[in-house]
Amino acid sequence: MSTVKLTIDGNVAVVSSELTVLQAARSIGINIPALCYDESLEIFGACRMCIVEIEGSNKLQTSCSTLVKNGMVVHTETDRLIRTRKDIVQMLLDSHPNDCLTCQKAGECSLQEYAYRYNADFKKHDGAMRPQLMDTSSPYILRDNSKCILCGKCVLTCSQVSDRQVLSFAERGYDTKIVFGADQTIEDSPCVSCYRCVAVCPVGALVDNRQLGKLRAWDGESTVVMCKACEYGCEFEVHSKGNENISVTAKAPSNGRPLCLKGKLTTELNYLETPDKPYIKVEQKFEQTTWDKALGLAEILEKINKLDQNNGEEE
Amino acid sequence: MHVTINGKSYDVEKNTTILNACRNLGIDIPTLCHDDRLSPSGACRLCLVEVEGWKNLHTSCTALVKENMVISTHSKKVIKGRQEILDLLISNHPLECLGCEKSGDCKLQDYCYEYGVTEGTYRWEMKTPYIDTTNPFYSFDSRKCILCGLCVRVCDELQGTTAIGFENRGFETNVSTPFNDGLINSTCVSCGNCVSVCPVGALEPKSKERFRYWETKEVRTTCSYCGVGCQMDLVVKGNKVVDVKPAFDALNEGLLCVKGKFSYNFLSHPERLKTPMIKKDGVFIESTWDEAYALIVGKMKEVKENYGSEAFAGLTSARCTNEENYLFQKMFRAVLGTNNIDHCARL
Repeated sequence: MSTVKLTIDGNVAVVSSELTVLQAARSIGINIPALCYDESLEIFGACRMCIVEIEGSNKLQTSCSTLVKNGMVVHTETDRLIRTRKDIVQMLLDSHPNDCLTCQKAGECSLQEYAYRYNADFKKHDGAMRPQLMDTSSPYILRDNSKCILCGKCVLTCSQVSDRQVLSFAERGYDTKIVFGADQTIEDSPCVSCYRCVAVCPVGALVDNRQLGKLRAWDGESTVVMCKACEYGCEFEVHSKGNENISVTAKAPSNGRPLCLKGKLTTELNYLETPDKPYIKVEQKFEQTTWDKALGLAEILEKINKLDQNNGEEE
Repeated sequence: MHVTINGKSYDVEKNTTILNACRNLGIDIPTLCHDDRLSPSGACRLCLVEVEGWKNLHTSCTALVKENMVISTHSKKVIKGRQEILDLLISNHPLECLGCEKSGDCKLQDYCYEYGVTEGTYRWEMKTPYIDTTNPFYSFDSRKCILCGLCVRVCDELQGTTAIGFENRGFETNVSTPFNDGLINSTCVSCGNCVSVCPVGALEPKSKERFRYWETKEVRTTCSYCGVGCQMDLVVKGNKVVDVKPAFDALNEGLLCVKGKFSYNFLSHPERLKTPMIKKDGVFIESTWDEAYALIVGKMKEVKENYGSEAFAGLTSARCTNEENYLFQKMFRAVLGTNNIDHCARL
């Protein structure tokens, strides 16, 4: 592995030649904004927020997809970049509902963060808006396509698990949208409610339905915990207020495990006094069920109870 | 006194309001205009409750408990009433949560979330904007004002300045200064206590830093400006103080003065002295506290030996606490042996 030397905003960085400009900048503490970049996902270059100026090139280049080169001189926050990023955020906002008042994502929303950083605001216009397509079919995931910024993170993360691959892009141009299965509802699609897509969504387009209306991002405290459903331990967040645990959300898959609904429900059961009722999909329909069935423990519990009863009689 | 609240029976004290009785029992009733330190005003209507036998919903901040009262704080009718009030408030409120500096610390935003009021349904006329940025420390934006009156009452009842009041009637009601002359021309002393109680983004400090409340943490500290010892919470982003909130559970009971509330920029000022300086060869050089104390003690001994006790005079500061001032005079009288001791507040 060879190293290269480049200059970013006047700071000299010596980094591996395999890094992108964005990664090199972050490694020396320069936070280039990005909506679609995620180190766990393949490079997509969809959001254009991570553009930088590289001396010798007239065009702005996406730093997430540009590899570092020896002697490169990079500027990440020039007037031209600030102006362009503001335009990008403005175009996203022009097609986004003004809902921060009650949006579940407010306080941890990347679009909100960059709108504040670059002084962009909702403005009145009589042009088109993304259509309201609220999908309330799942008790687990709430999908609001009107808030989607088409960063593609949900599609990429879903496609990383070979037997899932439920999400994809559909249509073209302004009509582009993210669909579940063959443009189905979450309920009708083969979605297994693993929450991978919810964990990476930078805006309020995919949110945890079981978190809705319970707690705002800035209220209370969050603790990262390891899932105990299998021995690998994906990361979940337990949100609490005062001394009470309010909700559990999926944070990230880990150790080669993909995140799963069983893990989410088990973690809820472990940490919450009164978790919401569990549901399972039976023939592509969500049905409310009991905890032993939801966690696949019904048979084993029955057997344990039977054995314990028999043992009691023998004594 | 016996009452029933939400189906459970409780014994509560006489002459308490329904709101206080409930809060003492841990039952949360939303309010926008209530403040324990101020006279109840019943302006926001959000604290309404249902009382059996009463025809209308009643504001719990103004109604006293009565024997055998049956109260519902979260019945369907009450929740519908509160939703309607929030709807009316948000209908006339600019939807600027995206960039509003108060976002994340705004009671109107919190209650709209809690009661599921996502947008105003009475979207016709908006208030005439009146924006006052004449004060160097804070600004007022009437578009965001919900007319709860907390600022007016704090200024009148606690601060005693009476710089602001309501003007006009009905839809045209506004918080303003006498003759609408602007805050800078009023009797306002810039204590910022109105800013501290504003539940929304109408009164906002003119912060030099841009920050979101959810990026910050609060650190309790004692104000260093005088000996009163007001408690306050520094709002810290990263390693920088970006705002100050008065502590409500301390002796200053949620009040601060202009210095405590707004003068915190010296904390991270590049020219702030962080170590004692000792003059060596005509130049001030950074040193340690041990060195500085050693120098002071050495000089004191030297002066006392050569010139006697009466060669000393001490002047202490109002920025010290009473205890520190006591110790200072004790040191001068008992250790150095002189009564030449005075205090800046007496000059």
